[in-house]
Order: sequence, then C-alpha cells, then structure tokens
Amino acid sequence: MGDKKKKFQLSESQLGYLMVLPALILIFAVTLWPVAQSFYNSMFDYRLNDPTRNQTTLSYQIDLERYADNYFFYERDMEQLISETEGTEMEDTVVSIQNEISDYHQMIVESDNIGDQFAIVDEMVINFEPVNDNDLKYGQIDNSFSEDYIDVLESADEQLGTFFEQEDDEDLAQTIADANAQIGQLDRSMIRPNFIGLQNYGKYLTEARTWSAMWNTVFFTVISVFFELIIGLAVALVINRAFIGRGAVRAAVLIPWAIPTAVSAMMWSYLYDGQSGIVAHYFEQLGLISDSSVLLSTGSGAMFSIILADVWKTMPYMALLLLAGLQTISESLYEAAEVDGAGKVQRFFYITLPMLKSAILVALLFRTLDAFRVFDLIYVLTGGGPANSTESISVYAYQVLFAQQNFGEGSVLSVIMFVSVALISILFIKLIGSDLFEDKK
Amino acid sequence: MRKKAGLPFYIFLSIFIFVTMFPFIWVFLTSLKPPSEIFSSFAWFTTEPSLNSYINAIQTRPLFLYMWNSIAVSGLTTILAISVASLAAYAVTRLPIKFKGTILGIVLAAAMFPQIAIISPIFNLIQGLGLRNSYMGLVIPYITISLPLAIWILATFFKKIPYELEESAKLDGATPFQTFRKIIFPLAAPGVFTTAILVFIAAWNEFLFALTINSDDSWRTIPVGLSLYQSQFTIPWGDITAATVIVTIPIVIIVLIFQRRIVAGLTSGSVKE
Repeated sequence: MGDKKKKFQLSESQLGYLMVLPALILIFAVTLWPVAQSFYNSMFDYRLNDPTRNQTTLSYQIDLERYADNYFFYERDMEQLISETEGTEMEDTVVSIQNEISDYHQMIVESDNIGDQFAIVDEMVINFEPVNDNDLKYGQIDNSFSEDYIDVLESADEQLGTFFEQEDDEDLAQTIADANAQIGQLDRSMIRPNFIGLQNYGKYLTEARTWSAMWNTVFFTVISVFFELIIGLAVALVINRAFIGRGAVRAAVLIPWAIPTAVSAMMWSYLYDGQSGIVAHYFEQLGLISDSSVLLSTGSGAMFSIILADVWKTMPYMALLLLAGLQTISESLYEAAEVDGAGKVQRFFYITLPMLKSAILVALLFRTLDAFRVFDLIYVLTGGGPANSTESISVYAYQVLFAQQNFGEGSVLSVIMFVSVALISILFIKLIGSDLFEDKK
Repeated sequence: MRKKAGLPFYIFLSIFIFVTMFPFIWVFLTSLKPPSEIFSSFAWFTTEPSLNSYINAIQTRPLFLYMWNSIAVSGLTTILAISVASLAAYAVTRLPIKFKGTILGIVLAAAMFPQIAIISPIFNLIQGLGLRNSYMGLVIPYITISLPLAIWILATFFKKIPYELEESAKLDGATPFQTFRKIIFPLAAPGVFTTAILVFIAAWNEFLFALTINSDDSWRTIPVGLSLYQSQFTIPWGDITAATVIVTIPIVIIVLIFQRRIVAGLTSGSVKE
C-alpha cells in the first residue's frame, strides 16, 4: 500500500491544481455557463408557454398536424378554383401554382427523415385523433428546402391576392380567397427559426417600464446604501469602546442580518399595514404622514418603506464590518495626534477615515451589489407596486421570465442586470485597487 | 485612551437595541393577541394572551415541513460547499500553484453574480435533469452562492495557520494531502465551522431559486412558505406573526450560541489584520 502510494505521488503543485479543479468546474457550470446561456437566449423569441417557440432553434420545423390537416382542405379548394378558372387567363398561373406546391408536398411525403412521420400524423388527422406527442407533431426539415417552399407559398399567396382584387365576379373571387386562405395556412404550419437577433433589446431598451425599473433600482441602491453607511459608521464609532453588554449588542446586530429577507419583509408588511400596522399608526400620530395607509398605497410611501426596511436589516451588518475595521487602527496613532493638538474632528478626518478607507470600500462594494439585485424584499413587501413604482430590475425580470413565461425577453433584463453589476464591480475594484487580493496570495 | 462608557452611552445603547429589536418584539406581542384585538387596537400588551394564532399557523400550512425542507437543503448545501471549498482554499493559500489571483478573482466574480442573470438557464437545467421539487434541485443552484462565500472565508482562515507546522510535517515525510488532513484541517476546524454556519444561513435565507424551482407546496422552504401566508382574502396577521416567531427561533438560537464565530467570519474577509 505504502509503495503504491509513492508511485502515484503527485507533486505539490499538481495536487494543488487537482484540489482547485472541482471548485472551478462547479463555479463554471452554475454561474459562467448560465450567464452565457442567458445572453444566447436573449436573442430568441423564446416562450415557454408556446409550443412552437418553447425552444431556442436556428433551424426550420414543420407542424405536421396542422400541415396535414390543411393540405386536405387546400387540395379541395384548389381543385375547385381550377375548375372555375378553366378557360380564363388565370388558368395557367393557377395550374402552375398547384403543380409547384404539389411538387414540394411530394418531397415532404417522400422525404427520408419526415416522410414516415408525416404518414403517421396524416393517418391520425384523418381519424380525428389529436397529436399530443410533440416529437411526432413537429418535424425537422432542411433549412434551404423550407425557405424555398415558403417562397413558393408566399409568391402564390401574392399572385392569388392580385387575382382576387382584379376579379369582378363575386363567386369566383370568393373561391380565389378560399384557396388563398388555405395556402396561408400551409405557410403558417412552417415554423421559422426563432432567432431574432437584437430585437428583444430594441424593445426593452426603448420601453419606459425598463427605465423606470432601472431608476427605482438605482434610487433604492444609492439611498439605502448611503444611509446604511452613515448610520453604520456612527454606530460603529460610538460602540468602539469597552462597555458592559457587548454580547447583547452583538446579538441585536446579528439577528436582523441573520433572518431571511422574505421573513423580515413579511414582518414589515405587517408593521406598515394601513389598518393594523404599528409603524404606520405611529407615523400618522407623529404627523409624518397624512394617513396610515399612505405607506404602502402610494409610490413614494412604498419606496420609503422599502428603504427603511432595508436599512434596518443591513445597517447593523455594516456597523459590524466597520467596527472590525476601527479596531485594527492602532491607539498610538490617536495618542500621537492628541499630543500634536489635533481635535476630535481632525482625528476623525485625518486618522479614522483614511485608515478605514479599504474597509469602507469593501463593505460598500458588497452592499451596493447586494442592494442592486434586490428581489425578495420588494417582491414580498410591495410586489413592485403600487403601479410598478417600486419595481426593481430583478422583480421586472422575474415577472417577464416566470409570470409571462417569456424566456427570450426576460433574458434581456437578466443581461441588463448582469452588465450593470459588472460595471459597478469594475468601478469599485478600480477604487479599491488590488488590495483585496494582496493578503491572500 | 479607550473611551469609558458613561450614562449617555448606555442610554444610546438601549435605544439602539430597542430600535433594532422593535419589529421582533412587536411581532411576538401580536402573536399572543386574540384576532379581534389585532385589528382594533394598538395596545402593546394583551389582557388575554392566547396560543390560537400558533395553532392556526401550524394547521393552515405545513410550517414544520417547510422547516424540515430548509434544514435538509441548507445542510446538504453546507456539506457540499465546505468539502469542495476547503480543498480549493487550501490549494490557493498554501500550495505552490500559479494563477492564484485569477482563481480568487473568478471566485469573487462568481459571488457577485446577480441570481436573476442565471435563473432561467438554471431553471432549464434543473427541469432537464428532472430535479424540480427535490432537495438537489435547490442544492445545485445554491452552489453559486455557497461555494464562492466558503472559498473566500476559508482562504482567510487557512492563511492564518503558521507555516512552521506544515514544514515540520513535511520534514517528517508527510505528503501534502496528509499535511492537509492531519495538520491543517484540525487547526482550521474553528474556521471551517464558522464558514459552515455562514453558508448554512445564506442557504437558509435564499428566496428566488426556492420560489421558482421548488414550486410544489411540499417542497417549499421557509422563506417562500412564509411569504405565501398572505395570499388570501384577508391577511391573517395573527397566523403570520405566530409563524414568523416559530421560524425565527432556530436562527435566533444559532446566532446567540455562535455570535462570536459569526462576527469573526463576517469580518474576516473584509478587514486586513
């Protein structure tokens, strides 16, 4: 056993790479790959609730059930049209349309990959059986064949359209219209690839709701992180001393941080409630708001409520990080400053703040990113309302992705979110410099 | 010249603690009130406390099942994250490998990823694997949250272990893996434990993945289950407050027991010592 072990001995660095590997593979699989996937999906008309578009596809498909069903009626209406146009100048064109379509139809029937599939579906359609199996219902067809067939169908449609407009005889015009409608149905049973390039971006980048969600997110992030920092710093400065009851303070600070945001949002929705909410009631008594229902039923009231709940939950955490930073500042610095005659204010600005700079920036980075992706708090407390006035980008993206089941358009909002977070991170990391990594190398 | 704490300081402290704890206090007091009193008065203390709300909270929804689901999901997440992350953090901090900065950079970047940016592909992945409404269906996406967090904090703790011990183990003929298992791991155990608590809490609190992936009521976790108490015609504040009290108790106990460790873990990654 001992010998065997020696034989397979890895060098330290090889072992090191081997130890890092599982973590990197997992991180790649659950974060990097999905982000790339979101980018990809955002360029498709991709909806979960529409069977013709519930996958991202670059190739054509054919809805065989619809096609088989319509081809039957198409043949009937086309025969009718040919017999009625006999002898007129339309005859040649109509016959050639029929020939062309029937050529393509024959190619489908005889095709190696979907010929058999078509026969089964056709049989079912004739017996009025619904085709519930999607693998059977949708056939894969060659892209260039589909494009040619669609061209034929569309030019036939155009041709018959002109005939229809020029025809004075009402009965004949009706027959033309019927045949044409069936051709249109055949055309619609051909499913185009749902790749649409940047169209989704065009839609969402010009839409007012996106920008108002972006504004809400930025407003919420800036205001709540600002207050968290200021109050957190003040609290940290005050409690940075020896006193009895540190344990109680630590617990009071940690409990709001530790409970799930969704649970605290439920608690606050009770406290803000217009009828039985104590906070709403006291605010009304103090004259801060005109009526206790204002907090959750008006846009600005709801935004205020969310920010207050967020500051309550995360300010203690901020205070904790800054307190840890304060405790690393050497006492001798303050003593020396005092000897030199520096006042309290000067000591704060010339010693405390510069020494705390990296702790503050790191805390700000994490808090800003956390606040920017806010979801639970808003989803549970206001649901984005009233009238979308508190909707953040995350909440909006969730609505499009899962309430509307539109994975293509929703992915645009996901990508917008990702890009914003990347920009914020780059900005902060520029400010912090490489400090963050230095001591870990 | 540490400032001494005087009376004004303690008054400030009491106000601070009262304000942060007020929502909990009020929710607890409400949970003991009979329903009629909740909707009619703002009195702090009820004259006839009852446990009716608690009984209702347990009966209307499977609260204990939600708790069990949360414990299972968070526990599995913690075990997975710690086992993978401790290897990675050890290699990054103590073994002679290249690209350490890049690896930590990727880890940090992953920690910053907004969940909403990856939710739809993850949803498709879990759906494709047939893991919706299962514990693994949440444990897999929770890697995005737990693994970077665990690597980052563990790296800080591993860094603090003196190198001399490792070198003497090496002189005695121990392989790097033996050194890790017999020397480093026992010494790092407190740090590992702290990391485990933080990962557990992070997984316990997650909402978005739990909401979308485990949509069946019998697989819901606490945050999602509790948020659904309100989706009825009248909002049963009595039940909600009672349920809140019940689900908050485990977290409060964890925090009270491990507060020193939690603070150490939270501040380790962000403050240089």
